[in-house]
This record gives sequence, C-alpha cells and structure tokens, in this order.
Amino acid sequence: MAWCALTAFSSGQEYLATQKQIEDSVELRADAVWLEGAPYDATTLKRMQTERAQIKDEVRQTQFSDILQAYSSRDEHTLRNRVSTFMQREYDLTRKSTSQIQKIRETFILFALLTALVPLFGMFIVLLTVNSTVFHGIDRLSRRMMDFLADRYSFQFSQPDANELGDLQRTFNSLAQQVINTMDELKQLDQAKSEFLSIASHELRTPMTSIKGSLSLLGNGIMGKIDEAPLQLIKIAETETDRLIRLINDLLDLAKIEARKLPLQSSWSIWDDTLRTTSTGLVGFAHNAGVNIACDAAPGVEVFMDKDRVQQVLTNLISNAIKFSPRGSTVHVYTGQTKNGHLLINVRDQGPGIAPADQELIFQKFRQGATAENPIVKGTGLGLAIAKALVEEHGGDIGVESELGKGSAFWFTLPKWRNQSETAASA
Amino acid sequence: MKILLAEDDHHVAVIMKLCLEKIGQHEVVHAEDGEIAVNCAVAQAFDLIILDGMMPKKNGLIVAQELRSIGNTTPVIFLTAKADEPAYQTLGAGYIAKPFEPTLICARIDEIMAQFRARGA
Repeated sequence: MAWCALTAFSSGQEYLATQKQIEDSVELRADAVWLEGAPYDATTLKRMQTERAQIKDEVRQTQFSDILQAYSSRDEHTLRNRVSTFMQREYDLTRKSTSQIQKIRETFILFALLTALVPLFGMFIVLLTVNSTVFHGIDRLSRRMMDFLADRYSFQFSQPDANELGDLQRTFNSLAQQVINTMDELKQLDQAKSEFLSIASHELRTPMTSIKGSLSLLGNGIMGKIDEAPLQLIKIAETETDRLIRLINDLLDLAKIEARKLPLQSSWSIWDDTLRTTSTGLVGFAHNAGVNIACDAAPGVEVFMDKDRVQQVLTNLISNAIKFSPRGSTVHVYTGQTKNGHLLINVRDQGPGIAPADQELIFQKFRQGATAENPIVKGTGLGLAIAKALVEEHGGDIGVESELGKGSAFWFTLPKWRNQSETAASA
Repeated sequence: MKILLAEDDHHVAVIMKLCLEKIGQHEVVHAEDGEIAVNCAVAQAFDLIILDGMMPKKNGLIVAQELRSIGNTTPVIFLTAKADEPAYQTLGAGYIAKPFEPTLICARIDEIMAQFRARGA
C-alpha cells in the first residue's frame, strides 16, 4: 500500500514537473516568435537574457542563446532559421510531454485508486475476521445462554476458547454451575418438605387419634358413668383436641397446596348436588347458631372440579357466614355468572360486615378480622387461605364485598362449567 | 362381626378395640404389624380386616395386596392419616381417616360395608 501511495505521489510530482515544462515551453515559444518579428531593442535583449538564465534544459538554453545572439547581431536570416529550429524542437518536446503527461495522469489515477482501495479491502478482511471470531463467539455464547434459560441446565462450554471470549465462557460456566447447584438444593428442599409433610401427617395425627379416642370414649360414658364436674373437664379437653386436629388438618392441607402436592381430582359434577351435600352437612351447625341456610338451585349446571375440594371451600364460606350471623338471620347462597362467563358463587350473610382494611387481610394465613364489636370467633385462621388456594388451583378467583353493619358477601368463581339444560334445549 | 385389626400404635389399637367391642359388639383380633396381620388372616376367617396404612415390616397396602394375591376376599378397610391415597379406595372397601370420632366409628364401618356389598351385588 505504501508503495502504491509512493508511486501515486511520484507520478503526481512528475506530472507537475512536466506541466511546468510545457508552460515554460509555451512562454519561450511566444518570446521566440516575438523576437523574430520585433526590431532590435537593448531592454528587450536584457529581459530575454534574464529569462534565459532561468532555463534549466541545456539544449534549450543553448538554442535560446543562439536566438538571442542572432537577435543582437540583427541577422534576420539566421534569427529566422534559429527560431524555426527552436520552435521545431519545442513543438516536438511539447507533443512528447503532452503524451507523457497523459500517461502520467493514468498512472497517477491508477495508483491513487489502488491506494484508496487497498485499505478498504484490508478493512473488509479485518471485518470478516472479527465477524468469524468475535461475533460468532458471542452468538454461540448467547445461544447457549438461551438454551440454559430454556431449562437445558447441562449446557456448558466443555472447552472455553483461549481468548477474551473464553473468559466470558468460563464466567458463564461458573454462573451456570451456581444455578445448577441452587436448583439441586431447591430440589432437596422440596424433597425434604414432602418428607416432612408425610411424616407430620402420620406423627401428628396418630397421637391425636389416641387422645381424641380416649376422651370421646370417657366423655360419652362408654367406659362407665362419670360425674358432672370431671365430665365438664373431659368435654373441655375434647373440644380443644378437636380444635387442634382442625389446625393440624388445615396446616397440612395448606402445606400440601403450597408444595403442589395436592393434585386435583377433577370431573364434571352436578353443582346442585355439591351445594345440597354441603348445606346438609352444615344444618346442625346452623341450627345451633339459630341461622337459616337458603340455597338457590342452579338446575342443569355442571362444573369441572374436584368435588371434595370445592365442597371444602363452600363449607368454609358458609360456616364462616353462620358464625358471624345474628340469630334468626339467613345465610344466602346463590349462583350466577361473571362478565367473562365464569360461574360465580355468592355466600351472603347479615353479620357485622368486614372493615375495608381487613378485607384483603382475611385471606392471608393466620389472619382474622377482629374489632371490639366483632371478636375473633374461634378458628384456625387458615380457612380462607385454604379456600383461596383451592379456588386458585381451580383457575378461579375469590373475594369479598362487605360494608360494616351491612353484612358480607363472599364470592368465588369457577371457570370450567356448562349448563346441561341449555345444551339439552338447544340440541 | 369378627374383625382383624392391624395397628402398630398400641394406644390407637386399644381405643379401636374398645370402640369395636363396646359400641359395635364385635369380636376383635389385634395384630401388631403387617406380617402378623397376614399370618392371622391366613390362619383364621374374618368378616372384616381393618389395616393401618403405615405399619412396620409390611404397610397396609402391601398386606392388602398380599391377601388378594393369595385369594383372600375378606373386605378391607384402611385406617389412615393420609386420606389422599387413591389405592385405599381401589384396594379396600373404603377408609377411615385418622383422627376418627370413636363414637361414630362403628356406624362408619357399617356404612362402608353396606356400600361395599351394594357394589358387589
């Protein structure tokens, strides 16, 4: 490339020099013609002699001296001859120079172009190299990262490159290893949680069985009659045992739901049957509280659900409603549809209502809404959290609308349902 | 009825035995683990076998499978702290979840047996 540039530069120089020569020649030729026709003048001769001194070409200088000599001797014939010879040579020179200048110009353009093109070509080569080494490397790295994201956790660089990209690959390897280790730990934790659930279920429930059994057999007089005072103590122990059993059941349920160890056993079930079974199960409880349960029938409605689990949700909502209802009031259960077509189940009571601040809270674990007028009714504080988890497991939502002093309406939705009577009618 | 009760927890076994004898007027034979249960079931004829789900040596499911494989058709009721095991429904006539209500246990057994007979008929 340097050579190209140098050649271009020297031909440029040569071009300028030749150009100068042609210019000089034109000037001298004009002088010669002028001298040929002009009368002798000493000043002119002197000016011409100065010009002659500046001529670099030897032949030209000699010839011009001869012209000047003929001019000073005023020998017109010799002057004409010499001027003619001079002119002839200058013409030839100029012609040669002109063709030479053409060639020089071509050389100049060629080498100038080469000088410009060589770096362009070089840059292209560099670009290709960078592309194949750097960009392809980065592309490979990012692809492996994507694979890693897509759960292919074994995907690492077995042999990192020996350059800066290799450093990146090594870093990626360590990061990936860290993630894999964490995943393993999480799996172990998950395993431990499952084991805990299994052991806790058995180890907590077995002693509770003995305690409850003993108390129940004593309290019900099956082992012989017992006096009023000790009987009262036995009943207290039995009631609290029941509460503890409920708490254990709720805790284990919730833990199972959270650990996703509670697979739903869903099937199409008739909604009214589930509703009837649930309310029948709560009739005794409602009767003790002096509360009525009114269920609106939803004939023909079938829901794809885990019947037992949805019944658990319904039981929870209805028994809550009963707990907070004043004597003589009615808990109303009715079924409708949401705007987006999900089945909507509403459980409305005429209780004290729930303060807006408590409305979110009550769906959290171990949280119960409580005010001076609304003391906590004995419960585990897990019922609504379980109901929420179960409804969400079914793909539905759960919530409450309430105003203090105006009762509450707990609602939940179930997305997968159909109306058999409608399909029958349309068919 | 003559009932075989396989239950490794001594206290639970005592209470179950009391319930079945005092309330249900049943005759009860107690086995301390799964292996003894299988031997008892082979040696004597029972109207009902109650199996604890988790027992040393052989758990309830294994005992039930073994009995079925040797042609014993005595109805089985599982006693379990983990109700969500589907095999309890398919292998047995039904199950009783722990902790149970002792005064209601005989009624629950009668209910399961009635359902079982209805299914068989």
